[in-house]
Amino acid sequence: MANIDTTKEAILEVGHDHGHDDHHDDHHGDKYQSSFVTRYFFSLDHKMIAKQFLFTGMFWAVIGAAMSLVFRYQLGFPEADMEWLQPLLGRWIIVQDGMGSLDPEFYYALVTMHGTILVFFVLTAGLSGTFSNLLIPLQLGARDMASPLLNMLSYWFFFLAGAIMFSSLFVSTGPFSGGWVAYPPLSALPQAASGSGVGMTLWTLSLVFFVVSVLLGGVNYITTVLNMRTKGMSMWRMPLTIWAFFVTAIIGLLSFPVLVSAMLLLMFDRGLGTSFYLSEIFIGGQALDYVGGSPILYQHLFWFLGHPEVYIIILPAMGIVSEVLSVHARKPIFGYKAMVFSILAIAVLSFIVWAHHMFMSGINPFIANIFVIFTLIIAVPSAVKVFNWIATLFGGNIRFTSAMLFAIGFVSMFISGGLTGIFLGNSAIDIQLHDTYFVVAHFHIVMGVAAFFGMFAGIYHWFPKMFGRFMNETLGKIHFWGTLVGAYAVFWPMHYLGMAGVPRRYYRFDTFDFSSSPGFDTMNQFITIAAVIVFALQILFIINFIISALKGKIVKDLNPWNATTLEWTTPTMVPGHGNWPGAIPAVERWAYDYGKDSDDGKDFISQVTPLKEGEHDGGGH
Amino acid sequence: MQLVGQVPLKKKRNKIHPYKFALWVACAAIVMMFAALTSAYMVRKSGGNWLEFTLPNVFYINTLVILLSSISIHGAYLAFKKNNHKLYKILLSGGAILGLTFVTLQYQGWQELIAQGIELKTNPSSSFLYVISGLHLAHIIPGIVAIVLAFIFAFIRKQEVTPLSKLRLELVVHYWHFVDFLWVYLFVFLLLQ
Amino acid sequence: MTTVIIITLALIAIIVVQIGRLIELSASIRGEEEAEQEANNRNAWGMLVFLFVFLAACIYSSAYYAPTMLGYGIEAASEHGDSLDQTFNITLVLTGIVFIITHILLFWFAYKYRRKKGKKSIFISHDNKLEVIWTVIPAVVMTFLVISGLETWNEVTADIQEGEDYTEIEATGYQWAWIIRYPGADNLLGTRNFRKINTANNPLGQEWEDEKNLDDFHPNDIVLPVGKKVRVRITARDVLHNFYLPHFRLKMDAVPGMPTYFVFTPKYTTEEYRQILKDNPSYQGPADETEPDGKKRWEAFEYELACAELCGKGHYSMRKVVRIVSQEEYDAWLKEQTSFYDQNVKGKAGVDPLLSVSHDDHGHEGEHHDEEAHEDEGHEAEGEHSEEAHSDEEHNEGGH
Repeated sequence: MANIDTTKEAILEVGHDHGHDDHHDDHHGDKYQSSFVTRYFFSLDHKMIAKQFLFTGMFWAVIGAAMSLVFRYQLGFPEADMEWLQPLLGRWIIVQDGMGSLDPEFYYALVTMHGTILVFFVLTAGLSGTFSNLLIPLQLGARDMASPLLNMLSYWFFFLAGAIMFSSLFVSTGPFSGGWVAYPPLSALPQAASGSGVGMTLWTLSLVFFVVSVLLGGVNYITTVLNMRTKGMSMWRMPLTIWAFFVTAIIGLLSFPVLVSAMLLLMFDRGLGTSFYLSEIFIGGQALDYVGGSPILYQHLFWFLGHPEVYIIILPAMGIVSEVLSVHARKPIFGYKAMVFSILAIAVLSFIVWAHHMFMSGINPFIANIFVIFTLIIAVPSAVKVFNWIATLFGGNIRFTSAMLFAIGFVSMFISGGLTGIFLGNSAIDIQLHDTYFVVAHFHIVMGVAAFFGMFAGIYHWFPKMFGRFMNETLGKIHFWGTLVGAYAVFWPMHYLGMAGVPRRYYRFDTFDFSSSPGFDTMNQFITIAAVIVFALQILFIINFIISALKGKIVKDLNPWNATTLEWTTPTMVPGHGNWPGAIPAVERWAYDYGKDSDDGKDFISQVTPLKEGEHDGGGH
Repeated sequence: MQLVGQVPLKKKRNKIHPYKFALWVACAAIVMMFAALTSAYMVRKSGGNWLEFTLPNVFYINTLVILLSSISIHGAYLAFKKNNHKLYKILLSGGAILGLTFVTLQYQGWQELIAQGIELKTNPSSSFLYVISGLHLAHIIPGIVAIVLAFIFAFIRKQEVTPLSKLRLELVVHYWHFVDFLWVYLFVFLLLQ
Repeated sequence: MTTVIIITLALIAIIVVQIGRLIELSASIRGEEEAEQEANNRNAWGMLVFLFVFLAACIYSSAYYAPTMLGYGIEAASEHGDSLDQTFNITLVLTGIVFIITHILLFWFAYKYRRKKGKKSIFISHDNKLEVIWTVIPAVVMTFLVISGLETWNEVTADIQEGEDYTEIEATGYQWAWIIRYPGADNLLGTRNFRKINTANNPLGQEWEDEKNLDDFHPNDIVLPVGKKVRVRITARDVLHNFYLPHFRLKMDAVPGMPTYFVFTPKYTTEEYRQILKDNPSYQGPADETEPDGKKRWEAFEYELACAELCGKGHYSMRKVVRIVSQEEYDAWLKEQTSFYDQNVKGKAGVDPLLSVSHDDHGHEGEHHDEEAHEDEGHEAEGEHSEEAHSDEEHNEGGH
């Protein structure tokens, strides 16, 4: 991989990247740069595109989380009068005898939209999109991405995907309501659910545009990492953030196209009457013409993306956390190479475990054996990462900034959620846990909350780089402690529901005796109230974000966290397009020389400081 | 202008332009999409209820057409590098015409199938054939657009071999080779299955 | 109402934000360094407090909810269920240990190595020996879990062996209920054709030309004899469903066009299971909230069938009762059942294809007759004559 070397000549050849302001050859010269539109909307600057991803991600996070409050309200207080929500939700609140209740169809639409939005728009685009864009060029010492134009298009395709998804919320038959996995036949037949009509068409369209966005971004990230590193930045000197973004992009690039194929076949089944996924269906009083299709084929194709997707979500968070832990513990990340190899191992394994989502779908039980083995092997690199993070704290000199707190919270969440994966990956145990609240608890903790924690750590840590100001640390700490306790309060009890066998995606639990044991309704109310509090804390975070961006404490020190990496070597806190007005600094050492005395009396040595005589690079012996 | 690479580079291995590299990465993504479809094809086929039919004869001819077009385009690229403008234009137009022929013949192939009563909905086997060949065609078309653009530029612009113009042409040539060999792969796959 | 809430929330937000800013402001007055150090210590202590509270809450709450949990309060009612519960338990113990140790280390280190003035961190970049150890240990533990898990899995998912005595039933999910079909006296399920489905008198599309169908019946509840192997044939009529029996640790997708199977053996009759639940604290309250003095939960207990694969807006309501009874009760119950054909089809003009001699004219509205599906279904139903089929036959004949 490393033999495609950075050559400055290569970059100069096209000439799009040799100065900080005239960055693109033919279409976008200097004169467009100052215009408001190109600066804030059709910007080619990776830092602005990163902010666009972040803002859009935050917008979607609020929408997605607000949706979860509505269905949590239903689950916690199924008998409550919801009429007061009618001004907001309109006909989806059914009013009968003066009592308003949530339309079950809309409940499922909310669950579906919540999943789709959070998985794709927030935790993929909002997390990987934001930080890959912000950090890849800055930490590698590049002026911008390999192709700023594709980068910009990547954002706008994401925006378009979002706009289409948003519009689906307003169609008369409602948004898609068949779960974020969109299993046919439910997703293929408008007769099966009203959301499977226009709502599903828009959902599919939106996801296809989203895939285009991911691919454009991914192509760029991979190319930039392999070709545009500054002098001296060998692959083994890259910060773990970059390794994580790089591998994430590769995973995305190889798995998302498969989703397009799956969607393509689904569209043919929906619109043109082919039978890829459908067979022998009798619905709405009539037998349909489909014969010979297999719904399981869709599940295979979907999870071939779907499983790597969870690593697409969690790897960037892992990268960010590794970096933040190291900087604020003032220690090199423990076992740098082991960290890289475990990222690579996770990436490879992520492609051969998809059928563990399908143990109960009717696949051959023998095939399940293979997937159990690979699935549980993933626990090994994941465990290595956890031990390395903990070891990084050992002997440190820890600064509890908000970023650091969230990084530590991430490790806790990752442990809690990761360990429950060992239950679910074991097909025998999965028989009773599959599609219960145990699964909901597992993935919300390990890839929902944990990924959010990684994202928060990143935002608090690189906020100065984005806005030249600090975020309010006191509010940051309130945000952290509240969210840590609150998130556990929301998701931990769900394990117990799952262990009692309560299935997920239930509109109410009192239809069965086993799902309405005494105490469960109190537990559901508790979860709902905790969710409301956690949501309020995120609003607090957004307020803090906005106020700090506008009026926060200005960063005076160019390297406020005393970090070694290149992004803190720019001569201005918020660099202009091109990042370094002068020459790009060359890299002389790895990214983790913390806890080493520098010549100027600091406890770290920047990546641009040459190695001393006899000094080993990378902490080697 | 502040030059980035003033420091002489010690090692100079594979010098790949980022754009070219990006194109290859994008091709890898396209390969994954087709890999998904062909694996789905195999999985579905093993499930039974599978209508066997022979591929239309046009597909054989077409495979030849697209290979010739690849050769022609590659010749055009070599001619361009040697500054042989006349040959460049001839071979480029040859490639473009062959590319368009491919599209037309592919359509002919579908017509041939329909004449045999093998339509999109007939059986999953025919559905797969139409989807795979159709999706491939959707990737051929941008290639043809790029060649046609190169063709137009060849007449209206002064042709100079600059690194930039060479790069542009290389991108077109690489993509075209890619979609051509993609077809060969798909054709052989469909033939063997 | 809504506006009041919004205004209150906005006010709270403003207050919190102002407090945050004030604290920062006062910090800068007192001297930033000192204030920062104090805050740092506070958060370090927070780590420690959180650790204890969190672990205590985990342990307490899991003990509190244990009576409701499968495998803890809720014993498995099937023979294979115990092995699943055991696998779960082993995994729980192992992961529990890891969970507690890693959390203690994580938060203890965070507390212990909090920043102190003049202190310096130790420069340790890696430790090969340590890293090998903590790669190998999880690998070994995982191997153990994989092996024990797969052993259980292959045991549980094994199909009926030749010559084994079992009952076969069929469950078909549709939006939003289940249809249960019993093979009747011949102990064979008849063939189905989805094109013959009609909600009025053939909800499963049974082909009446197939004699095996004539004695198949559709009971309201699933009734099964205790201690005898059951093979459930699981199908779906419209979208995906999932045949889920929590007490029996059984779950399997119902896929349209592709039957799936699950084999299990009920271990306790419903009555026996009620006795087991008698001492369970979560089964003590009244079964019906409106009748506090009525039956207790354990007295009214029934095994339940649920759907565990999202299937549309009625997904949460696909309940069916499963009754496990003694062999004698089962035989008696079988006697009471009338076949679906006899009850709804037989002798009805225009409905019963067996009425007229040229019954081929009927029911063949589907032009594309699906050979594949046919063969498939017919095949399964063949040669599954088990011993008690004869006795069933006798019973049924006696009943008529």
